[in-house]
Amino acid sequence: MRKRLLLLSAALLATASLAACSNDNGNDGSSASPGSSQPSSQGASSSGSSDEVVTLSFWRHDYAPEAEAFKKLIASFEESHPNIKIDFQMIPNDQYETKIRTALAGGNPPDIMALDAPTLASYANQKAIIPLDDYFAKDGNKDDLLKPVIEGLTFDGKMYAAPNNEGTIVMFYNKKMFEEKGIPLPSKNVDEAWTWDQVLDAAKKLNDPAKGVYGWNPTPWGFVGHEGAPYSEMAFLWQAGAEILSPDGKTAKGYLDSAESKKALTFWQNLFNGDKVSPKELPQDAFWNGKVAIHVDGPFAFQYQEQNFPNFKLGEDYDVAPLWKESKMIGTTGSWGMAITSHSEHPDEAWQFVNWVTGVEGSKVWYEETKNLPARQSTFDAFQELKEYPMNIYAEQLAKYGHPRPVTPAYPAISEAIRLLFEDVGLGNADIDDSLAKAVKKIEDGIATLNP
Amino acid sequence: MRGYRSAIYEKQESRAAFLFILPAFVLLAVFIFYPMLHALVISFQNYNLIAAEHHFNGIANYRKLFSDETFGASLWHSFYFTLVVLPVQTAISLGLALLVQKKFRGVGFFRTVYFVPVAVSFAVASTIFRLIYNKDYGMLNAVLKGIGLPALDFLSNPDISMLGIIVLCIWRAMGFVMVIFLAGLNNIPDSLYEAAHVDGANAVQRFFLVTLPLLKRTMAFVVIITTMDALKIFIPIYITTSGGPAGSTSTVVHFIYETAFKQMNMGYAAAAAFLFFFLVLIISIVQLRVFRTDVEY
Repeated sequence: MRKRLLLLSAALLATASLAACSNDNGNDGSSASPGSSQPSSQGASSSGSSDEVVTLSFWRHDYAPEAEAFKKLIASFEESHPNIKIDFQMIPNDQYETKIRTALAGGNPPDIMALDAPTLASYANQKAIIPLDDYFAKDGNKDDLLKPVIEGLTFDGKMYAAPNNEGTIVMFYNKKMFEEKGIPLPSKNVDEAWTWDQVLDAAKKLNDPAKGVYGWNPTPWGFVGHEGAPYSEMAFLWQAGAEILSPDGKTAKGYLDSAESKKALTFWQNLFNGDKVSPKELPQDAFWNGKVAIHVDGPFAFQYQEQNFPNFKLGEDYDVAPLWKESKMIGTTGSWGMAITSHSEHPDEAWQFVNWVTGVEGSKVWYEETKNLPARQSTFDAFQELKEYPMNIYAEQLAKYGHPRPVTPAYPAISEAIRLLFEDVGLGNADIDDSLAKAVKKIEDGIATLNP
Repeated sequence: MRGYRSAIYEKQESRAAFLFILPAFVLLAVFIFYPMLHALVISFQNYNLIAAEHHFNGIANYRKLFSDETFGASLWHSFYFTLVVLPVQTAISLGLALLVQKKFRGVGFFRTVYFVPVAVSFAVASTIFRLIYNKDYGMLNAVLKGIGLPALDFLSNPDISMLGIIVLCIWRAMGFVMVIFLAGLNNIPDSLYEAAHVDGANAVQRFFLVTLPLLKRTMAFVVIITTMDALKIFIPIYITTSGGPAGSTSTVVHFIYETAFKQMNMGYAAAAAFLFFFLVLIISIVQLRVFRTDVEY
């Protein structure tokens, strides 16, 4: 009996320790030993050579169209750099930020991490990622990058990430509905964008509560809890001529609560509560199902439509026009890139991979696979379709009227403050002055914690 | 001679007892006490989640909490939630327990049906309720429209959003509390009911004068556990409403999570967590004293 007990507990201990081992893949930065078990390593060839094989871990949020692109790029990279292996992990979208932050806090982040441009400053400020200026000067082709891109990735005078692509939002509208109601179609010329009032006018005519059809959905995903909401909502403030922060980034008072902001928010409040042309709760795939007449989306929408709604065709059922404007024409920009963590023991090799994916050639492959707006001028020049409808609207709007989100370590507080501000005013129908005061206070608190 | 033997026996007993407790205590110390201590230290620092070094800033975090409107609002939301859930859920569960206590044919089926929501993953249930509550296309409003009642916009109306969460949580937990009450009810001997019946008590009087007093211990357990769970509610807030609309369902734990991981302000979040810990502790102690009972049967 005793022997059996001992045997059982020994077996349990053995299995427990094995389980602990297998959980450890990819989380401990770069390891140089070729014999260690890395089950999710993407490399095809076995690394039995005696010279050092460097394994770099790379985390990115999960988005299916990009997974294919990465597989291709990683395979081609490993072929041309036999001494470097990439351990690529995709993390579910809504957990990505939390996971990367806890990994950084715990001291075991990956070598290379995907980075959403507005969060760059908070990571750089805490020295969690390294500046890439020297690498860019060596072989990064920095001049090829678009100006707003460099602006969005520079903190404190140094560039901290390399961009995979850019992004902006434009107006999508249901062509058939416009034609049915006899409304003239919006111009496709970026310099002749519709004003808010013009869009509202059309929306009121298209609004059909009896059939459950809303005239105008002003944010791509509705009132969501993630970055997608403030991404599109900030454009409203800028279009009205307001700014969120002072030029030195030290305060929001006098900027966020300006008269222009109030104008923008009054208009916003009216959309949901006055004229009621906008849905407070956005149903799944509202635009593609014909529940919303005027919508806003990024370039990834085309692929989404082709995969999921092949019968809702561009040019017949729906069309694309430049984003609306008020006193200014502005579309929010800023998208994902790759950064190297300061924890990495092989920054040079990491840069080789980062440059492979985001460099001149990699950027072309990336565009072909994901159809995301490029961040490099050379990629724009290489593809004819970027100069044609519909992508040219995105391209021109990005180049002429792009506006990145504020680059400051206090960005998380700003993002949350804006998101809540628009929810308070839109969903809660709250007093605009009170809501603005609340948002300003939240931003000021966020800035204060940076400078104790 | 005999005293010496029993002393050694005592010593061996207590040492064996100590060794038995040791593994559990070590686990508790490593996974609960040590992190709590570390969190306490963090709450006195200006601790950014991903920073390399941290500085002490005394009680600044705690002081800021007292003037933080958002934190105050989240406290109120937690308490509002608890104040509604506690009596309603307890009453419903007790009612269900009374209904399924009698052993009629098919009672097993009903007991299972009431308990199934507890077995469903809370995250899955929250996601599904989010679809059910949708104003235009959710099942709830489809049914209400069919009957002719106005639609309930739980997900976009800040005034009633908390009620939507409350319904979800009660639906989920009532089966569990029902089972606890069942156990408590089965512990009351039938002879007491018969005696009361003989004395001329009707059903209502029997309930209030026999059942309830003898359920005091069970009731104490239910109230304390329900209060603690209700104050700490997080999953449905995070998944169904994301703390919205317009921050109307943001409870304390949600506030702490957002502050720690989205705003990366770990020190402030730890301070909020500790303040909340003491609050819940005090409430639980008060409840334990109120429910102290010497009733034996």
